[in-house]
Amino acid sequence: MDEISADSFNIRDYLRLELFPHFLCPGCGHGIALRALLWAIHELGIDKNDLAIVSGIGCSGRTGAYIDANTFHVTHGRPLAFATGLALARPDLEVVVITGDGDCLAIGGNHLIHACRRNLNLTCMMLNNEVYGMTGGQASPTTSATRYTTTTQSGSIEPVFDACALAAAAGAGFVGREVTIQTPALKNLLRDAIAHKGFSFVEVLSDCTEIFGRKNDLGESPEMIMTQKSTMRPASYGVVGGNIVDEPFRATNLKTGILTRTDRPEYGAAYRAHAAGIRAARKS
Amino acid sequence: MDMAQKVSAETAPGTTPGATPDTTNVLIVGVGGQGVIMVSRVMARIGQLQGFDVKQSEVHGMAKRGGVVFSHVRFGPTVWSPTIPRGKADILLALEWAEGLRWLNYLKKGSGTFIADTRHIVPPFACLDRTRGAKLGYLAEPPGVVLDQVADGYALDATALASALGNHRVSNTVLLGTLSVVIGFAPEIWQKAIAEMVPPRTVEVNLKAFEAGRRWAAAARENPESAREHTLRKPAVLPELEARDFELRITPEWCKGCDICVKMCPERCLSLNALNIVELTEPDRCTGCRICEWLCPDFAIDVIKTLPETASR
Repeated sequence: MDEISADSFNIRDYLRLELFPHFLCPGCGHGIALRALLWAIHELGIDKNDLAIVSGIGCSGRTGAYIDANTFHVTHGRPLAFATGLALARPDLEVVVITGDGDCLAIGGNHLIHACRRNLNLTCMMLNNEVYGMTGGQASPTTSATRYTTTTQSGSIEPVFDACALAAAAGAGFVGREVTIQTPALKNLLRDAIAHKGFSFVEVLSDCTEIFGRKNDLGESPEMIMTQKSTMRPASYGVVGGNIVDEPFRATNLKTGILTRTDRPEYGAAYRAHAAGIRAARKS
Repeated sequence: MDMAQKVSAETAPGTTPGATPDTTNVLIVGVGGQGVIMVSRVMARIGQLQGFDVKQSEVHGMAKRGGVVFSHVRFGPTVWSPTIPRGKADILLALEWAEGLRWLNYLKKGSGTFIADTRHIVPPFACLDRTRGAKLGYLAEPPGVVLDQVADGYALDATALASALGNHRVSNTVLLGTLSVVIGFAPEIWQKAIAEMVPPRTVEVNLKAFEAGRRWAAAARENPESAREHTLRKPAVLPELEARDFELRITPEWCKGCDICVKMCPERCLSLNALNIVELTEPDRCTGCRICEWLCPDFAIDVIKTLPETASR
């Protein structure tokens, strides 16, 4: 399956080639995530005219501009708000949101929980590189404890968000996590997420070599993507036996793949049925 | 004086130390997953059903496909030692061709019988040269050359006979059928032992396989020339591959020299040049595995299939 779709998949069919080479730093994992997303779209056979990409601000948001489809580059933190309107007005479109950890969890945190709550048919790909890269390397809600950034000069001491647990708790129908080094697995996860009817949240563990890795002595890009599932991702809390306890570092057995999958009612269909009912009641 | 008599009896030709002279030694060899242990258990059970003293010992465990498995079965009026000394096996039954040759020195010179499946299972260490179309480190002699070296030899494509019955995994029972013709005993006893040892769902196909092996052996005994013709064909080593069916296309103006592809390539065939741009420096080593393509964040490497049927897609 992977082999066959890999043979027929030419990423250049899905890119705005005139914009290349892209602006991302050498070794930035966002490019790998972008490939996986386009590969998943190719496998699902979605026409580029039926695809709408909504992205926010930041390195992650900028990647959306390279996709040769309907792209919508919106204000910081609000891609989910814009995408909600788009998906409600145009249910025929396949709406995919590309956002980052700061964009999605800090500035757009409130949009995220309400998008999860509504369970509208959207796919949200959150590229988590633990830092605000484009604006100069400030700490984000996922910057791990002890890490140095321009705003945590002596190491971060804040607890981090577990974005997948947050999305699942807020009611997202589909929640998954994957690392960029497992590109075919990431492609499969994104494919399942896009095919899922309801709100799909996918956290992609990406790496920021230039702004984050260098400051924290995490090695060059190859070393950083090799350690994506282990040393790079410490967590500050976890659930042990029903109690939330502090864990200074997340174990190496970080769960990836599909984490939650429920069949809650999809908001768009419920909304349209409700509106049709009111219209019929007014006519009679 | 007693001692001297014993020593002379032990060293007499045709006997094995630690056993009475009429002990039958059957050495069964193969690779993991083929059913060597099942064959040896059937053999041991038949010894028991005949009222003999039976000893069996085996080496298994590293038995995922490719690991070596062997089993010694000895039966006779009284058996003392569970292992067969080198050069004392009456019958060497090989479920895999190269394994059979590896154990040939255990066969009795001048009187031993060699039974082997001609099918090859190429072990990983025979493919260390991973370039396309590379020669395998697997023996190239046709089976007939080997059969000339043994007193009595049977080389059959048991896997093909088993596949014809619908389950290639019963090739070990096909070889049991051939073994039964060589050893003797009533076929009913063999069938009873096989039915006891195999999973209940597969009893029918195993009994059919046993018959197929018996028929092949009987025909080979009647007409040795035809059996030899079958064994003289070239061994079925993997076919030579055509020219490579893929091409690595590098877009140098997109490469940012992040080093991911160079470090991640399992064959170490990429490197960065003086301008920090990736280059395919060892094109012969490239296997087209796509890892560099998948992990390049800048889309600077494409693996393009060049076979006509895939190129048209």
